Amino acid sequence: MKKAVLTLIAAATLWGYGDGAVYWAPHGCDEGKAAASKHGGHGKGESAMFALMNRDGNASAQLILPDLSAKPLSFKRNTVMLPKPPMGGYYAVVAEGNGTNTVFSAVRYLSLQGRPSKISPTKLTALSKSVLEIVPDPLHREHDRYTASKSYRFVLRFHDQVLANTAVSLQTHNTPAQTVTTDGAGKFTITLPDDFKNVRIGRSENKPSEFLLTAQYREGETLYQSSLSMPYSLNPNDYWQSQSYGAGAIFIGFLGGIFLYRRSKTKGAKRG
Amino acid sequence: MDKLLTLTALRRVIQLTAFVFFVYGAMIFATFYTGDKLTQSLPALSCAYDQSGGDFCALIPLQHQMDHRVSSIFTQGEKVLPALMGTLITLGTVAVLILILNKAFCGWLCPLGFFQETIGMIGTKLGLTQMGTLSRETITKIRPIKWFIFLFLVLILPLLTGIGFLGHEWGNPYCSICPSRIMTTAMTGDMSQVYISQANWGYFALSLIADLLFGLMIALALFVRAPFCRICPILPMQTLFKKIGLLRLVKNGSSSCESCGNCVKACPMDIYEIQESAENKNITHADCTLCGRCIEFCPHDGVMNFKYGPVTILSSSKEGFKKRTKIDKWWRG
Ligand code: SF4
Ligand code: SF4
Ligand code: SF4
Repeated sequence: MKKAVLTLIAAATLWGYGDGAVYWAPHGCDEGKAAASKHGGHGKGESAMFALMNRDGNASAQLILPDLSAKPLSFKRNTVMLPKPPMGGYYAVVAEGNGTNTVFSAVRYLSLQGRPSKISPTKLTALSKSVLEIVPDPLHREHDRYTASKSYRFVLRFHDQVLANTAVSLQTHNTPAQTVTTDGAGKFTITLPDDFKNVRIGRSENKPSEFLLTAQYREGETLYQSSLSMPYSLNPNDYWQSQSYGAGAIFIGFLGGIFLYRRSKTKGAKRG
Repeated sequence: MDKLLTLTALRRVIQLTAFVFFVYGAMIFATFYTGDKLTQSLPALSCAYDQSGGDFCALIPLQHQMDHRVSSIFTQGEKVLPALMGTLITLGTVAVLILILNKAFCGWLCPLGFFQETIGMIGTKLGLTQMGTLSRETITKIRPIKWFIFLFLVLILPLLTGIGFLGHEWGNPYCSICPSRIMTTAMTGDMSQVYISQANWGYFALSLIADLLFGLMIALALFVRAPFCRICPILPMQTLFKKIGLLRLVKNGSSSCESCGNCVKACPMDIYEIQESAENKNITHADCTLCGRCIEFCPHDGVMNFKYGPVTILSSSKEGFKKRTKIDKWWRG
C-alpha cells in the first residue's frame, strides 16, 4: 500500500499533478476503493474518505446530499470521513476557503447506494456550491462512469452565471495538463485520455484513475480558483474489445437474414 | 385526411413520440427521468446503456438484483425479505404498468418494437416479399424460447453469478445479447456497444451472439413481422401480471365469427388462437402486443374489441374493415 502511495506521490511530482490546486482525492489506503473499482458506477464500496490536497488552513468542507440538504464535514489533518449515506443517489463533497486575495473551492461527486432520493442529479449539479464552479453537463448516470477515449461536457460558472472564453485545465496522473477554453455559453468538452499503464484484461482488473479539471478567474484583486476531480475508467474498446470485429459480426448476422429471405422466397415459390 | 385516420396511424404517432422519449428523453427533460431510477424502471427495452434515454428498462435491475442482492440470501445468509425488496419494487412497477396498459407497452411504446416495424415498412417499400403468417409448427417451436431467455438469462444465470458459481460475465447476460442495447445507443451516435470482446470465452460468446443477433434481426425485420419480439423476455414478464391488466382484447363472436382467419393474418405475432370462437372472452395471449390490428382487420361488427375495465373502447366493424383494407392496398402499392 505504502508503495502505491509513494508511486502516486512520485508521479504527482513528476507531472506536477494538481499544480498546487486544491482538489479532492480519494484517500489512498481505503479498502473500499478496490471494491468500488470492481463494480464501478454503483457506488458500492465507494471510498468513504477523501483528502483535500494542497489544503489551506481555513478550508471548510460540506457534503451535499441527494436531497440537496448539506452536512458539514470536519477535517482530520487534510481528510474528511463521509457519514453513512442515509439515502441513495449522487452526493457532492465540497470544500471552500480563502487566502490572501484568493478564494478557492474543490468539488467532487459520488454516487452511493440506498433508498432512491427521487431528486434528479441535475438539481445537485445545478445547485450553486461555490463562487467559481466546474459543473458536469450532465453528470453521468448511475450505470455509467467517466471512461477514457470518451468525450464529456462541462459548464464553468461564476456567481451562478456562465463564464465564457475562459481557460480550463485538464490533467491526469499520466498525461500532463492541457488547456481547453469555454465557449460563449460557458461550456467546454474534454476527451479523457487513454493513458492507463499495465493494463490487464477485464474491466474489474484495472483500477480507475483520476482526472482533474481546474479553472481560475480574477475579479478585481481577488483570484478565484476551483477544481473538479473525478475517477475515470479505461475503455475496453481501446484494449480487449474490437469494434471492427463487432461491426463484422453484425454484417454476418445480416447476411444470414438475407440468406433466410432467399430461402423463404424459393420455398414460397415452390408452394405457390 | 379522414381516410388515413386509422388505429395504426394513431399507433405510429404514439410510437414515434415514445421512441423520442425513451431514446432521447434525458436530453429533453433534464429532470426526474435523468435520475437514478433503476428500481423504478419501466418493463421496457428503453435501455440503461443509452445515456440520453428518458427511462430505464426493467430487465437490467432484475439481473443486477439477482446477482448482487438475491444471491446474498445464499452467500451471506441475508434475510429473504430485505434481499428481495429491490426485486419486489421492480416487479411492483411492472405490475402498475401492466394494470394501466397491460401489454400495450409492446404495441404502442417499445422503442425496439417500433424500430422493427419501421424496418418492416422499409422492407415493404423496397418491394421485398413479406413472409406473412408463420406456420403453427414454427410458432409452437419458437414460443418457449422467450421463457428460457427470461428464466435463464434474466434470473438464473445472474443469480448463480452472485452465488459465485459463474464468472462476472454472466452477471447480466441478457443485456449482453440485447439488440435494444445496440440499437438505442447507436441511435444517439454512440457506437461503443458494437464490439467483440476478447476478455474471456464467456464475454466473447455473448458479444458475438449480440452482434449476430442484431444483424439478423435487422435483416429478418425486412420481411418477417416483429422477429425479435417472438423471443423477447419482456413478454413472459408481462404475462406474469396479465390478469390484472385493465386493457384487454375481448372476443365476442360465437355466432358472427366465421373463423375467416383475417385476424390471424393481420396479427404481427401470428397468434392463431384468436380465430377460435369465443363469447365475451379475454383473449389477450401471452404473445399479444395489443396492437389492435386484429380489430382493424376483422370484418364483423363487435367481434373483436378493446375493453378498458368494463368499457369497450374500440370494436371491429364492417366499415372499419373496408377502410382499413383499402388503405392497406394503397400502402402496399
Ligand atoms: S441492454 Fe436490453 S435488457 Fe439491458 S437495459 Fe438495455 S434494453 Fe434493457
Ligand atoms: S416483445 Fe417486442 S415490442 Fe414487446 S418489449 Fe419486446 S421488443 Fe418490445
Ligand atoms: S392478437 Fe391482435 S392485438 Fe394482439 S398482437 Fe395480434 S393483432 Fe395485435
